[in-house]
Amino acid sequence: MMNTKNVLYYGIFLASLIILPFFLNSDWVSVMTTFLIYSVVSLSQDIVLGRAGMFDMGHAIFFGLGAYSTAILNMVYGWPILATVPVAIILPIIASVLLAAPIIHLRGDYLLVTTIGFNIVFTQALKNNVFGITGGPNGIFGVEPLKIFNFSLSSQMSIYYLAFFILLLTLITIHNLETSKPGRALHYLNLDSLASECIGINTRFYRLYAFALSAALAGLAGVVFTLQFSAVSPGAFNFIQSVLFFTIVLVGGPSSIPGVLLGTFFMFVVPEMFRQFAEARYLVFGVAMILIMIWRPKGIWPVKFGKIPSYLTKE
Amino acid sequence: MEIFFQQLVNGLTIGSIYALVALGYTMVYGVLKLINFAHGDLVALSAYIGLVIIMQLMGALSPTILIIATFIITIIITAIGGVVLERAAYKPLRKAPRLSAVVSALGASMIIENGIMLIWGPMPRIFPASVVPNTNYNIHGVYISLMQVLVLIISFILMVALYLFVNRTKLGTAMRACAIDQDAARLMGINVDKVIVTTFVIGSALGAVGGLFIGMYYRGIYFNMGWIYGLNAFVAAIIGGIGNIPGAMLGGMLLGIFNAFIAGYVSSSWSLALTYVLLIVIMIFRPTGILGERVAEKV
Repeated sequence: MMNTKNVLYYGIFLASLIILPFFLNSDWVSVMTTFLIYSVVSLSQDIVLGRAGMFDMGHAIFFGLGAYSTAILNMVYGWPILATVPVAIILPIIASVLLAAPIIHLRGDYLLVTTIGFNIVFTQALKNNVFGITGGPNGIFGVEPLKIFNFSLSSQMSIYYLAFFILLLTLITIHNLETSKPGRALHYLNLDSLASECIGINTRFYRLYAFALSAALAGLAGVVFTLQFSAVSPGAFNFIQSVLFFTIVLVGGPSSIPGVLLGTFFMFVVPEMFRQFAEARYLVFGVAMILIMIWRPKGIWPVKFGKIPSYLTKE
Repeated sequence: MEIFFQQLVNGLTIGSIYALVALGYTMVYGVLKLINFAHGDLVALSAYIGLVIIMQLMGALSPTILIIATFIITIIITAIGGVVLERAAYKPLRKAPRLSAVVSALGASMIIENGIMLIWGPMPRIFPASVVPNTNYNIHGVYISLMQVLVLIISFILMVALYLFVNRTKLGTAMRACAIDQDAARLMGINVDKVIVTTFVIGSALGAVGGLFIGMYYRGIYFNMGWIYGLNAFVAAIIGGIGNIPGAMLGGMLLGIFNAFIAGYVSSSWSLALTYVLLIVIMIFRPTGILGERVAEKV
């Protein structure tokens, strides 16, 4: 539930994101745009990983499907970008349901490994230029900018606000999810899948629901990602990227919106800040990941659910 | 038919290497229920350590002693590395949520991988050609190199030794007990901590042998090869049934042969993708792997 304090905090956060680009040079606007896109993907990953408790390490597939649908439909079939958006949302949904349906019953680590498998097959297919439309290892270049009526959104700033807009949409979607029946169902089945089944929650349906919803959001983020670079390549959606999204959620704090945003900042923007240290930064980064997990095993900003008296939760 | 047997020999060689690395994954998973993502990078590290030792000692020692010395020193250093990894990254998280340990493992993997790159640089390194004499045996048209024979024999000996250790010794029995139920094992007076350290020592030592084989057999090593060899070996462990030691050996062999046949008969650019298709199919139809037992969920 949103109380006045939370509304105020989100208001300040969103307002500062709106004015932020006026204080940054174009390099940093670009970094922040990618930050916003990655935030959306991480928040969508959080629906599956944090809220539904399914170890999905192949989330870059849905992100990539969205990005590639836009790029392919625009470059190969000449669709305007706006017309590709519904496809870039629906295709990841269909893919997520088809991929997840046979494996949804798998326990934790097995699901993780299978999703890694899907992701590697996906990137290999992109690299091997399936159906001759994915552009092979180099990907696709020169995607048109988004045109709404006669305005062409091609400047760095306009992409930033586009990314901001989808982040806003994602936050609203997740807020609605939290306060609705599916959100509560996911929360129950995450805590205890057997017990939730006993009280009549169709766990299989809601697990697929979580996958579909998160795939839709990731696909939408993919569209903006394509627009930002006006290009797509398999490297941006490989298994290492999925590991990044997976780590962002766990480092930030599963099912905590501020946590995931903070996690994205820590895992994506902070390394950009230390760019001059080139390769050494990732070494320090690995150390930081271990230390964060040791000191804050539930993430930097763990989620708090209501107030349950401690004698009830103690085992 | 000759192609078939040639690919079978190649597949068995690669499969033995996968099996050695897979054992490290499966043993740690059995005891700690943790996917040790840093294991692959430890394997890569051992290949680099082996290369340094060979470059330092080459010429000073006779080839046989050089190979033996390289193996022993690399195994010791990698085993120490494995214990340090466990102490620093996993032990503090024994009581934390399981996914936290996964992130810690990924962090450790980043440290090792980038550490290798900082020390030895991002370019691939090449093992000298003459470490193992380049002798080929021709058996009815099928070529087997001395290196392949070495890989097959040493892997076989190590696997039998491990099997005997786990099933016939006291420490091995303790290890199996910890894999079933750590708390119960502790109540029976088993020093669980010691068992975990032993697991990491053995797993890393086998991984080191695997890493050296990769270096000597393929010759080219690169800093981020831990990911791909690690993942393949991990897939082998899963296919066999993770946590199951004979399963990891079987899975490694199957995966190696599968890879070799795909590369020989279909196309090598699809071999990685097909490996994972195989994994997905096995996960769908036999979620606990070939030799894994279906464990009823406790309520």
